[in-house]
Amino acid sequence: MSEKVEAKKWGMVVDLDLCTGCQACVTACAMENNIPYTGEDETAYGRGLHWIRIQRYWKGEYPEVSPTHQPVMCQQCGHAPCEPVCPVYASVHSEEEQINVQVYNRCVGTRYCANNCPYISRTFNWFDYPHPVPESYSLNPDVTVRRRGVMEKCTFCVQRIRHAVDTAQAEGREIEDGEVMTACQQACPTGAIIFGDLSKKESAVSQAARSQRSFRLLEELGTEPKVVYLKGGGNYGG
Amino acid sequence: MSKKLSRRDFLKLSCAAAAAGMVLVGCGPASRYVTRVPYAEMPEYQHIGKSTYYATTCRECPAGCGLIVRTFEGRAIKVEGNPNHPVNRGKICPRGLTSVQGVYNLDRITGPVMQGRRGKAGGQAISWDEAVALVKKRFQETKGSEIAFLLGAMPDSLYDLTSELASALKAPAPVRYSALNYLEGRDVWLAVASQYFGTPSFPYFDLENAEIVFNFGAEFLENWLSPMAYSRGYRGFRKGQLGARGYMVSFAPRQSISAAAADEWIPIKPGSEALVALALTRLAAYARSEFSPEITRQVDIKAAAEASGISEEKLKELASRFAGSNRPLAIGGGSALAGKSAFETASAILALNATVYNFNQTGGVFLTPAKAPSERFADVQALFEKMRSGAVKTLFIHGVNPLFDLPAALNAAEAFKRVETIVSFSSFPDETALASDYILPDHTMLEGWGYQTVLAGTTRKIVSAIQPVVVPLYDTRSTADVLIAAGGLPYKDEVDFLQQKILPLMSAGGTFTAPELPSFWAKFLQYGGWWQKSADYAAIDADALLKSSISMPEPHPAPADQYHLVVYPTQFGDGSGANRPWLHETPNPATTVMWNSWVEIHPQTAKKLGIHDDDVVRIRSEFGEIEAVAYLYPALRPDTVALPFGLGHEALGRFAEGRGCNPARLFPNASSQNGNLAWADTLVSLSPTGKRRPIARQESRHGVYGDGE
Repeated sequence: MSEKVEAKKWGMVVDLDLCTGCQACVTACAMENNIPYTGEDETAYGRGLHWIRIQRYWKGEYPEVSPTHQPVMCQQCGHAPCEPVCPVYASVHSEEEQINVQVYNRCVGTRYCANNCPYISRTFNWFDYPHPVPESYSLNPDVTVRRRGVMEKCTFCVQRIRHAVDTAQAEGREIEDGEVMTACQQACPTGAIIFGDLSKKESAVSQAARSQRSFRLLEELGTEPKVVYLKGGGNYGG
Repeated sequence: MSKKLSRRDFLKLSCAAAAAGMVLVGCGPASRYVTRVPYAEMPEYQHIGKSTYYATTCRECPAGCGLIVRTFEGRAIKVEGNPNHPVNRGKICPRGLTSVQGVYNLDRITGPVMQGRRGKAGGQAISWDEAVALVKKRFQETKGSEIAFLLGAMPDSLYDLTSELASALKAPAPVRYSALNYLEGRDVWLAVASQYFGTPSFPYFDLENAEIVFNFGAEFLENWLSPMAYSRGYRGFRKGQLGARGYMVSFAPRQSISAAAADEWIPIKPGSEALVALALTRLAAYARSEFSPEITRQVDIKAAAEASGISEEKLKELASRFAGSNRPLAIGGGSALAGKSAFETASAILALNATVYNFNQTGGVFLTPAKAPSERFADVQALFEKMRSGAVKTLFIHGVNPLFDLPAALNAAEAFKRVETIVSFSSFPDETALASDYILPDHTMLEGWGYQTVLAGTTRKIVSAIQPVVVPLYDTRSTADVLIAAGGLPYKDEVDFLQQKILPLMSAGGTFTAPELPSFWAKFLQYGGWWQKSADYAAIDADALLKSSISMPEPHPAPADQYHLVVYPTQFGDGSGANRPWLHETPNPATTVMWNSWVEIHPQTAKKLGIHDDDVVRIRSEFGEIEAVAYLYPALRPDTVALPFGLGHEALGRFAEGRGCNPARLFPNASSQNGNLAWADTLVSLSPTGKRRPIARQESRHGVYGDGE
């Protein structure tokens, strides 16, 4: 390609002081990304395909007990532990979006990537989950429907990123801050999730990431996650 | 090849080669797999067409959030919030998000049916002409007083139309209720507002700008009055737009997600909320060096402390903190407003607000400028009494499932047997539809017209527009059209009715208007509704409230072998969401359980009774019994058990049927003096059944299916 596309550093900030654990992001993600439901038995075995989950831990003893909530999705690591272990290059870094992408038609299902992910953010399609008519009518045409034997995970709603980048390019302008919204961010009733370009200093996500409350999950592993959490709601990082 | 091959020639050649290939392999196994794929089914990476976005309104709960639905090639793909809508400003809850799984549900009723036998699925399909003729005949042959309409979660436009129809037929006014009314204290707030402010409207609590909030059981992040509006309010409260980060104290026997979001949780004894609110009112007045208002005359601080399990010092500390704050606010709902003394509790909570003069003040209490239709349980009781006496010949039911969500003690099924003809307009085969004689399915939420009058969560007048975003999938028909055709109302069709109804809004000073109706109608649909530019509420006066005297509720401690009962609605709302697979797959926020219901028991209590996680427990009240899987829940009073509402269906399709348990079986058929269903005073006993049933939970795999400890 002759025209050089400027790389973006897409990132996310989750304000844990605002997160109430309501699970709207979980459902929104499923509806946007064609995530199949797996049913009672499979979810009990831990094979649910949620790309984002709310980690709910209890703190304290009755009556000073309270839960902490933390949404965890793929942290889109800069140094992703899932990438070097994939024998078929299905887990790779995208140059342009600077995120970690999963190439479904390369994936052969070794599940090495999931074993190596410290955030347990990858989910594996153990079966072909049916999409019967007319339920399938609401499948999102922008997102691949995955088959059995394929690993999947949060993509930062890359289809929305692509759409916004293409639109901006066609209109010959810069992409605006806030133009790309991930499905979880869009739904979040308290607005706890911010998404945008971390390479732009003035973007909302950059400003939030510079907060004194910010921390990253398992920072000491050196994975350079692109999801930043803001301390609060009983979650203090570290 | 020396000759340059044109594209056309190349194609010709390759077609010939492909044909030759087919002939050659003729009978071989490969030929079976050679199929011609129409271009309609394109390779996955390629699709043409553009998404179209339509504004409409959510009907999943009564809040009336604005939606933008993405459609593609005539199909509803994704439901998103309408960023301009004043109720939810672009935000949306799991129930709204899965409404596409309502339209494209695998278990919809696909056309009008005459049921062969009540209570059985199936029957004989009829045509819509027959269906309309049938309804018309019932209207003509039944005396007006013997027709009844039982309505629930439906567009307000349809409620308005049915009311008009009822008065034209000289039939009693439609009775409307939803399980959320009595689970969230909605009917109680309406009764209190009618009593003290003279208008049956919901109070609006300005959580966004409050500094200190005392919350008596309101699950404002989940299902209370307007969850999206109050979630946004919670954001503002936390961000402290007008000053410091807010401080919230939650008084509730069980920690809901809303109670867990508070800075301090006080596990109050169930039934003592009114006493505590009154004691705090009195102490707050003292702290401000003012006379204690009339309403608190009878309350004894010491007795309140004893009844609630909160020490006197703590009450004083809380009251002085409340009184000293710039913008204090008290709210209430849930099980606190669901007992015999719910009216007194709501009055006491309002009095606590009034004593710090926060009525009509930023961060205080307002009255929503919309009259809400009555949702009293006593009216539902009266209707079923009438049915039992045989005085109802024809019953029309829409948007509600009384065989599921009314107390089993009411014995709705028995009352149904005395009704000659029952006509259900349900889109899904729920318990009530199956017990009807005719099912005339209405369109689902994304296929129909209407408007929703926003009743809560705002200080503006809002009429939210509902428009179809996809063509109806099946042979369903709008109930409004059926009623207009059969009832001989002076409207051409539903849209004509809606247009006439919104006509007065053209000159009512909203954010937009138009010189003539077609343009106004177009804008109304495009923007997703009509609303005022700014707040327009009637000021409320605290005098009548503070000078009233209310009877002191008597606390009812549970005997040693019995437990208080807390029932709370989940993402399944009033239970109609139980046929959506992704609502099942979405973990419950508090327990992370999926695809089933459970009973929450405090670990100490469970130990005492010998109950472990995943044991099946029998829960028995005076009125019925159910079995549920035990979940040891640490954030609950040891003398209380809690049950989620919404599952335990006997019908409603493959995802709902036979899954979980229905707490409505434990409820009494009792209404308080002010007409709300008094279920929160119910005491239950627990006994292990010896069975085990592991439930799916996201939090830990240990102990599930025998893995781990």
